Amino acid sequence: MAQLSRYSMVPLRQAFLIAYVTGILWLRRNPVSLIFTAISPFSLLFVLIVISNGQYIDFAVAGSLVMALVGYGLALGQDISFYKTEYKIQDIFVASPVSPLTYMMGLALSELLFGLPALVVLASFVVVLGAGIAGIPLLIATILLIWGSMSAMGFFLSSHMLHMRNATQVISFVNVILAVLPPVFYAVERVPDVLKPLVYALPTTHASLMLQNLMGEPTPAEWSLGFGFAVQVAYLIGFVALAKTKALWREN
Amino acid sequence: MLAIDATSVTKLYKGSSRPALDNVSLQVESGKVFTLLGRNGAGKTTFVRMCATQLAPTSGTIKVLGYDIIRQPGEIRNLVSVVPQEGRPLRALTPWDHVYNWLQIRGESRQTAREKTESMLRKLELYDARDRPAMNLSGGMKQKVLVAMAMAADAQLLFLDEPTIGLDPVSRRQVWSAINEWKGKGQSVLLTTHYMDEAEMLSDYIVIIDKGKIIAQGTIQELRKVIPHNMRVDISADGTDLESLQPYGSVVDTGTGMLRVFTFESSARELSEFAIKRNLSFNVSPVTLDDVFVYLVGRPIDKGDLAE
Repeated sequence: MAQLSRYSMVPLRQAFLIAYVTGILWLRRNPVSLIFTAISPFSLLFVLIVISNGQYIDFAVAGSLVMALVGYGLALGQDISFYKTEYKIQDIFVASPVSPLTYMMGLALSELLFGLPALVVLASFVVVLGAGIAGIPLLIATILLIWGSMSAMGFFLSSHMLHMRNATQVISFVNVILAVLPPVFYAVERVPDVLKPLVYALPTTHASLMLQNLMGEPTPAEWSLGFGFAVQVAYLIGFVALAKTKALWREN
Repeated sequence: MLAIDATSVTKLYKGSSRPALDNVSLQVESGKVFTLLGRNGAGKTTFVRMCATQLAPTSGTIKVLGYDIIRQPGEIRNLVSVVPQEGRPLRALTPWDHVYNWLQIRGESRQTAREKTESMLRKLELYDARDRPAMNLSGGMKQKVLVAMAMAADAQLLFLDEPTIGLDPVSRRQVWSAINEWKGKGQSVLLTTHYMDEAEMLSDYIVIIDKGKIIAQGTIQELRKVIPHNMRVDISADGTDLESLQPYGSVVDTGTGMLRVFTFESSARELSEFAIKRNLSFNVSPVTLDDVFVYLVGRPIDKGDLAE
């Protein structure tokens, strides 16, 4: 049993070490890079608050948090492409006892680390704007679910990209599809009825609705917290399975 | 036990009409340094990447340390380590960060990782630069960081794909010495190189590969026998001509102002006297691997071959 427990801890230790090397050590030597990643999620928040005179602050905060998490998840894809094509680091990891999912988890944790200051500020806004202390567990669950599924998707996509430029283009496109077009920054009621099934099929819609719900915003009658949670869990399982089975670790 | 057992391996990349490897079969004995020698695009890196479970073959089978690369990659990955071609260390991290953390990721305890890191960095003369970010290291030192990561892992089989590219002569010798020490411990090395001196210095067995096919293989002594002569005399072309040297052996115009005569010891002595009488510069040496390569492939390895 002890042996089994030790064995199951190995990937976790490896993931934390990868995160330590690519995240903490990097930040320790390049603390300035933290400023850039910390500031960028606040740009749309700022614009929306100014334009709406603060009226849409809940949507702006929910949207910014979801968009930031999508960005960190997808940025993992860019990192992976970079490490693969520029540094050939992935070649070293492939020919080692590190599994692709462990590698993905390590780099995803490292991305999260870079985004931590912005995430803490945005999550604090959610708490202050209505979620309260009681809403923190659900808030953390929402953050982890969307970050996990987006990281798995970023890993899957980047593993099929042979060039850095392709990865950047595809990831920018996916970012628009997931974080800009759907009702992430605005109310789902604004979406025409005919398009609603489409937006409900996206995990980011549910993540934003959960955050809006936490902040006390009214949510559509046809949607519930349980439904949103279930969709997000399904996406996380689906994307992790996709990353595990279909991501290209060994090239063809 | 064989370190590598490849049978009828072919690799055809998508969009390419010519296979990168064409029906290659070869066996690598354990505990030896096995070298793949070839020009750009010969297929060396493709073979290494397949053995290291980084690339799938189009057809054929490869067993590494007894395990099949397609069905049992996990077993292989526990036992190998690699220096990829054109790899680079991460800019902000130091040599110590790279080696020490990599060993921990591979499962070493902190204490062992510390000891092995210190030993390997000292061996490759990186210890004094252990806390310097990679962005401030020379190209050669960066390459040595990757070599240190791979060698410190103490794997049963080490894949070194052009490990000494960009290294100065002293650093190259440090890497050679580390490889020889590795071999002494009974571990195996699959090396690719363009450097003839490196192949001669390190290899127990050499495979010359060209356009995806094996064209010769054997020990250095066996390969030297491919050329029917055992001596080489280079004579300045300024003052003599090809025809007048032909009685002494096989003559090749190197295109560098020198005529190369492949011959035997007795004729080499006569040729030396011939050159002295005419006040021509000349150079006598035994036939080298370089000569064998030119003889088999039809052209030498040049600067354009520094990366595949």
